[in-house]
Amino acid sequence: MAEAQRSCWIEEHDGQSVLFVGGAWRLSALRKLSQQLRAPHGVLLGVARQTAPAVIDGSGLHDIDTAAALLLLDALAEAGGDPATVALRHFDPRHGRVFEVVRGRFAETAVAPARHRLSALADIGKKASDLGTLLLGHVEFFGRTLVELSRLLLRPHTLRVHELFAQLGQVGVNAIPVVALVTFLIGVVMAYMLGLQAEKYGANIFVVDGVALGITREFSPLIVATIMAGRSGAAFTAQLGTMKLTEEIDAIRTLGLSAPQVLVVPRVLALVLTLPLLVFVGNVAGLAGAMVMSNLTLDITPQTFMERLHVALAPRHYVIGLGKSPVFALFIAIIGCRMGLSVSRDTRSIGINTTSTVVQGIVAVILLDAMFAVIFQELDL
Amino acid sequence: MNAQADAVIEVEGVVTRFGAQTVHDGLSLQVRRGELVALIGGSGSGKSVLLREILGLQRPTAGTVRLLGTDMWNASDDELAATRKRFGMMFQEGALFSSLDVAGNVATPLLEHTDTPAELLPRLVNLRLALAGLSADVGAKMPAQLSGGMKKRAALARALALEPEVLFLDEPTSGLDPITARAFDQLLAFLNKDLGLTVLMVTHDLDTLLSIARRVVVLGRGTVIADGTADAVMAVQDPWIQSYFSSRQTVSTATDPGRTAQADGA
Repeated sequence: MAEAQRSCWIEEHDGQSVLFVGGAWRLSALRKLSQQLRAPHGVLLGVARQTAPAVIDGSGLHDIDTAAALLLLDALAEAGGDPATVALRHFDPRHGRVFEVVRGRFAETAVAPARHRLSALADIGKKASDLGTLLLGHVEFFGRTLVELSRLLLRPHTLRVHELFAQLGQVGVNAIPVVALVTFLIGVVMAYMLGLQAEKYGANIFVVDGVALGITREFSPLIVATIMAGRSGAAFTAQLGTMKLTEEIDAIRTLGLSAPQVLVVPRVLALVLTLPLLVFVGNVAGLAGAMVMSNLTLDITPQTFMERLHVALAPRHYVIGLGKSPVFALFIAIIGCRMGLSVSRDTRSIGINTTSTVVQGIVAVILLDAMFAVIFQELDL
Repeated sequence: MNAQADAVIEVEGVVTRFGAQTVHDGLSLQVRRGELVALIGGSGSGKSVLLREILGLQRPTAGTVRLLGTDMWNASDDELAATRKRFGMMFQEGALFSSLDVAGNVATPLLEHTDTPAELLPRLVNLRLALAGLSADVGAKMPAQLSGGMKKRAALARALALEPEVLFLDEPTSGLDPITARAFDQLLAFLNKDLGLTVLMVTHDLDTLLSIARRVVVLGRGTVIADGTADAVMAVQDPWIQSYFSSRQTVSTATDPGRTAQADGA
């Protein structure tokens, strides 16, 4: 039955062109309906297009929903007809109501021109300016935190001891297993890789020199700081961001408490205090890993390893490694807290800021490490 | 037309337990096509849980739930997917996708489940927004930039995207000012009347009940304790129902016990 396939056609009646619609006009058939209405062979916008119909006949209509009614009006408007004045006839009252609902809102559905998108160059400029704003904000926050810390020196009783210890537990104690594991494996890998080279020259014992210097001065501080940037920095941002979202921070303010004092200072202190300790754990674990590997593959007994360690590892390398870590900690904690407090009031920005914290934290740690390397080089340390 | 064939939502003998706590104890409920039903009940009476069970989000401990003829807890994935395209749900806080703008939110179901021609899509999104009472320029906004009332309207627009036969709403007017809330009521009444949508909503709003709900179902003690027009429900002799419907009156006429005590002391 060809008639069943046809959803719309135009006939001339009494000098008027009448658009007949039939069958089920539903959202699910929108594409098919659109093709029948529009180009290239559609009844309204086809090649053999007539004058736009002024009457729509719905006697054959089984069903119509708002989406299909919109399509009909849209195509009619495109064909030069006037959706506001087109007359309906033989419509089922229910169908007519749906049609009128859409017709009443047709003007509101007009699509605004697409918004102007930034060109690549403007985009780069905007990103750069955003980065500048971000860094400026960090500097400001850094200053405010230092003020808060110095205030703490004058009035030690304002320290939130309970919160500080809670943070020390989360940031420090709970991180020991992962820090020990990772640095142990780094020690193993370093001893193995150095051993492969040293064995060729029969210089097995100098593996201890290389590992001792490498682990204590560079690898342990760098890797532990990176772990903490991912672990604690992200946690700070997520915690403070959630508190901001649930208006807890506003509540702290309205209760007359200082958000930096209650939230930021304990976190910064906790990380600054624990990172050197974790670096120490990392040193021990890394050297232990190297010792195990040397024993297995290089025939260096643990005793020989320890003796050589005493000779090869000058205390200054050890102190430099430990000394760098509070600075890393300060930067990680400040970035983490600031990104948490600058979360805007939607859930999405917590995710964005947390990711950003990890990236910024790691970049900051590596930049600082490079600066330290140059400074110590110049100082002949 | 028999009542069975006309039923859009059929809940039969639903039992829900959380540990030792029984929320529903053999609850049955039928909603017919074209009805506008309000579900009320005290906190903890399991209104939202029942809604989630009807939607297929939470499995009842026992009993059957049929939505548009599909047994929501024994149907195949294909049947469920087909049924899910036929109803819309507006969550209490909107549950808009925060990474998409409002237009993107409304377009998501259309893009996923229909082959709407690309040239018509923006217009169709705007029509959905207009039906929910939002102007087209709201489409470019992100959910975080919207006020509470606009969020609810945007969520309604998304729920209406696929021309649903049934519309579920969880507390549609909570957190809205009275003017916005009444406008929202009118919107729901219009969708129900003019577009023939079956509407089931959980609400606490007395004004909504009295103005637009043609049927009120009261949950309590694990089952339906009253079912009928607002007037009929109001006449039911039940302590909770009586205090619920008289709550507004009580607040305006009752004396504040704290103040009386103070006055006595002075």
